[in-house]
Amino acid sequence: MKNILEFKNVKYFYQTKSDEIFALDNINFTVKEEEFVSLVGPSGCGKTTILSLTAGLLKPSDGQVLLDGTDKIDTKKIGYMFQRDMLFEWRSVWKNITLGLELQKPSNIDEKLAFAEELLKKYNLDGFKNKKPRALSGGMRQRVALIRTLVMEPKLLLLDEPFSALDFQTRLTLCDDVYEIIKNEKKTALLVTHDISEAISLSDKIEVLTSRPAKIKDEILLNLSGKTPLKKREDKSFSGYFDKIWRELTNEKSETKNS
Amino acid sequence: MKKAKQKIVNFSLSHKKYVRKLKQDKFIVIFFRIFILVAFLGLWELLTSVGALDPFFVSSPSRIILQLGELIKEGTLFHHAWVTLYETLIGFAIATVLGYLIAILLWWNEKVRKIFEPYIVVLNSLPKIALGPVIILWVGAGTSAIILMCVLICIVITTMSMLSSFIACDEGKILLLKSMHANKFQILWKLILPSSMPDFISVLKINVGMSWVGSIMGEYLTSKAGLGYLIVYGGQIFKIDLVMSATFVLCILAFVMYYLVSLIERKYKK
Repeated sequence: MKNILEFKNVKYFYQTKSDEIFALDNINFTVKEEEFVSLVGPSGCGKTTILSLTAGLLKPSDGQVLLDGTDKIDTKKIGYMFQRDMLFEWRSVWKNITLGLELQKPSNIDEKLAFAEELLKKYNLDGFKNKKPRALSGGMRQRVALIRTLVMEPKLLLLDEPFSALDFQTRLTLCDDVYEIIKNEKKTALLVTHDISEAISLSDKIEVLTSRPAKIKDEILLNLSGKTPLKKREDKSFSGYFDKIWRELTNEKSETKNS
Repeated sequence: MKKAKQKIVNFSLSHKKYVRKLKQDKFIVIFFRIFILVAFLGLWELLTSVGALDPFFVSSPSRIILQLGELIKEGTLFHHAWVTLYETLIGFAIATVLGYLIAILLWWNEKVRKIFEPYIVVLNSLPKIALGPVIILWVGAGTSAIILMCVLICIVITTMSMLSSFIACDEGKILLLKSMHANKFQILWKLILPSSMPDFISVLKINVGMSWVGSIMGEYLTSKAGLGYLIVYGGQIFKIDLVMSATFVLCILAFVMYYLVSLIERKYKK
C-alpha cells in the first residue's frame, strides 16, 4: 500500500513575543492507504500540532510533511473532524452536510449531492435531513459531522479527539459507528486521542509521543481479532497493549518530573 | 381497553391540574397588568377631579382624551405623529444599516479595527446631545438635523454590539471553514453574519428605544412639528395636557415598533 502521509524529521517551534516553544522534535512516521493510525501522548504534547501540520494550517519549521507524495499540501485531500461537532445551528442537517460543497462548488456537484444523500440513508440520519442540529443527540451530531467531512471525499481523515465530549456509552457506540463508516468508505484516518483504550480499539498502528518537545517514543503495530472496536476490546492481547502504552506514558510523566 | 382508558384518565387528571395551574398563572399576570393600568388611571382621574391634585400640573386622563380629540379635530395630531415617526424610522434605518456595515468593515480588517478602537470608545461615551449646536451648523435646522441626531445616537452602539458579536464567533467553526477552503468572504457570509443574528435582533430592539430618544432630542433642539415639538411647546405655554397627550401617542408608537421587531424575532427563532 502506498504512503498517504509521511512525516520526515519534522520539527516545529511556536513563536510568541517573549518565547519560542519547541513543540515537535524530529517526528517521523507514515500513514498508509486505508490504515487507521493513532497518536497518543500526554496532554499538551503537540498532537494537535501534528494534525495542523498535516492539514497545511501550519508549516514545519524543519523537515518535511508529505501528503500524497508532495509537500505542497492540497487541503482538499484532507477532512478534519473536531472534538466538538461544529454544526451550524441555523442550518438544517442537510445544509450542514453540504456546507463544503456549497463553499467549493465542485464540477461534479450532482454526484456529490447524491453521495451525501446516500450516506445519510446508510447511517440512519435520513429522517433528520431537514431538522436543525438541536433536535439531535450528541452521538447523532458527531455522525452528521463525520458525514459532512466524508461528503468531500477526502483522502485522509484527521480526527482530533472526536469522541471526548460525549458520555461513555455514546462514546463506545459512536466509536463503532465511525469505525464502520471509515472502513466501509475505505478511508485512511489519523486520530489524536489521550484515551489509550480508544486508540487500541480503533487503530492499526499507534504512535506514542513523549511530552514536549514531542518525539516518537514507540510505534506499536496492533493485531487484534474482532471486527468492531467494541469486539476488539474483548481480545486477550488488548490489556497487554494497554499496559505497554500506559507504562510508556507514565514513565514519561515521572521522567519529566524528575528532570 | 378499559385499562388503557383508565391510564389516560389518570394521566390527564394531573395534566389537567398542571394546565389549570398554567392558565391560572397566566390569568393572574394579565389581570394585574390591566388592574394596575386601570387603578393608575382611575386614581389619577379621581384625585384630580376632587381637587387633591392640580390638573394644571399633572393633567388628567379625561383632559388628555379631550386634548387628543381636539388635536384630531384640528387635523394636526397625525401630522405631528407622522413627522416624528418618519424621522425615527429614517434615523433607525440609516443607523442600523450603516452601523452594521462599519462593524463588518472593522471585523474584516484587524488593523483598521485597532486604529479606530479608541475613537469608537470615546464616541460611545460622549453624550451625543452635546453635538446639537454643531449638527445644526452643519446640516441646518430642520428634519435632517433631527435625523442626524437620531443616527448619531444609534450608530455607535450598533457598531460596537455587532463588532463584539462578530469577534465572539466560535474559532473552531472558523477553523472548520478554513479546512474546507473557505475564503474570508465566505467565512463572513456563511458563518459570521448568520451566527450573529440573535445579537442583531437585540441591537434592533435597543435601536427602537434609542431612535425615539434621538428624534425627540432632535426635536427639542430644532423643530417646527412633531411629538417632541408638541411636548416642548406644551411645556412653554404651561399646557400640561398637550405634553401628556403627545407623550401618550409616543408610548403607543414606540410600543408598536418594538412589537414589530419582536415579531421578526419570533419568526427568526422558528
